[in-house]
Amino acid sequence: MKRTVNLLMLVPLLGATPTFSAALGITLMLSAVLGVFAVCMSPLRERLTGTRALLASLILAATLTSCADIVAQRWFLPWQQTSELYIGLIALHCVVLEYHGAFRDPVAVSFKRCAMFGALMLVVGGLREIIGYGSLGRGLSEHWPGLVLFPEGLRLITLVPGAFVLLGLLLAARQAWTRRNSVIKETHRP
Amino acid sequence: MNRSASVATVVLLALVGVSATYVLQRSSAPQIASEQRLLDSRKLLDVMPAALYDNQPLEQPLTLAEPALRHSTLSGGYRATRSGQTVAVLLRSRSEGYAGTLELLIAIDANGKLLGVKTLEQRETPGLGGYIGEWPNAWLQAFVGKSRTEPTDAGWALKKDQGQFDQIAGATITSRAAIDAIHDALRYFDEHRALLLGTGP
Repeated sequence: MKRTVNLLMLVPLLGATPTFSAALGITLMLSAVLGVFAVCMSPLRERLTGTRALLASLILAATLTSCADIVAQRWFLPWQQTSELYIGLIALHCVVLEYHGAFRDPVAVSFKRCAMFGALMLVVGGLREIIGYGSLGRGLSEHWPGLVLFPEGLRLITLVPGAFVLLGLLLAARQAWTRRNSVIKETHRP
Repeated sequence: MNRSASVATVVLLALVGVSATYVLQRSSAPQIASEQRLLDSRKLLDVMPAALYDNQPLEQPLTLAEPALRHSTLSGGYRATRSGQTVAVLLRSRSEGYAGTLELLIAIDANGKLLGVKTLEQRETPGLGGYIGEWPNAWLQAFVGKSRTEPTDAGWALKKDQGQFDQIAGATITSRAAIDAIHDALRYFDEHRALLLGTGP
């Protein structure tokens, strides 16, 4: 179960985070839709079982995602056009998470998991923007052009394969960090 | 809970969902359409400085006579004015690149000098000719300020063809197509100047 969910969460993490503002947008939308979905599903889950519960979650996810998409089109059209695909996928996230019972965990656990994932999205988005475009916070506001650190960036990082490479490097850094902190004493064999 | 009640719940949920989406879509449609128009026009019009004109060029399309040129076809034109005076003409030009249609938007000022060129559509090789689709674009920037007579007809070519322009590395055909299309548009402007500027008969 864990594997499917993790693989599915990889899609917005790599695809929808070319800049910090895009990452922020998709994170907010994901958390809003997932939050409303969780709240609406909790009374339904008690009343419905089996296929009918799945059907209800499907309808609910589709409704919430369509409404969120329309709202994004209305107020954030430029961002919506670049992230359209990933906005549509939020419905799939809802249904898969529901199917695997992720919403039945205690609220604190789910909340912590969501916060961690959101933070990861923002970190990846920020790093990709800094390395790929040499700026940070572009497109966040119309009056502020963003913080320009250097004029030109590494184009690879702005593409999805570059995001994959970056995620690999982040994981490697984390592993190196945890390994250094956990005391491992080498035993010398005679 | 019995079967019919749960079926009723699902049906009710579906009805509420569909109607909520429908109402939201209906109420947002005009605003979305106007946002879309604004975005489209901004995308097209950043080919020239915004301070130059004060009208809505896309709402003043030109009817072009004889749009088939030597190397390209003009698919449309717009007039940018400032206090009633035409300051620039935008021409949409389609030509054949290396891998497909190359569509350029060419802005020419009232004196026949190029104000800017922007790629609207291209299917060139990514990483080589595909560079032409990027914006802002240093290669297309090199044409700004040029006109039909400066350089001369022979100069309107790649250095490889004894002209005076550099080419995009590894994309001779794309570069040639773009230069020919720009030259065509400038020639067209010269030949139909009065009509395009709206000053002639």
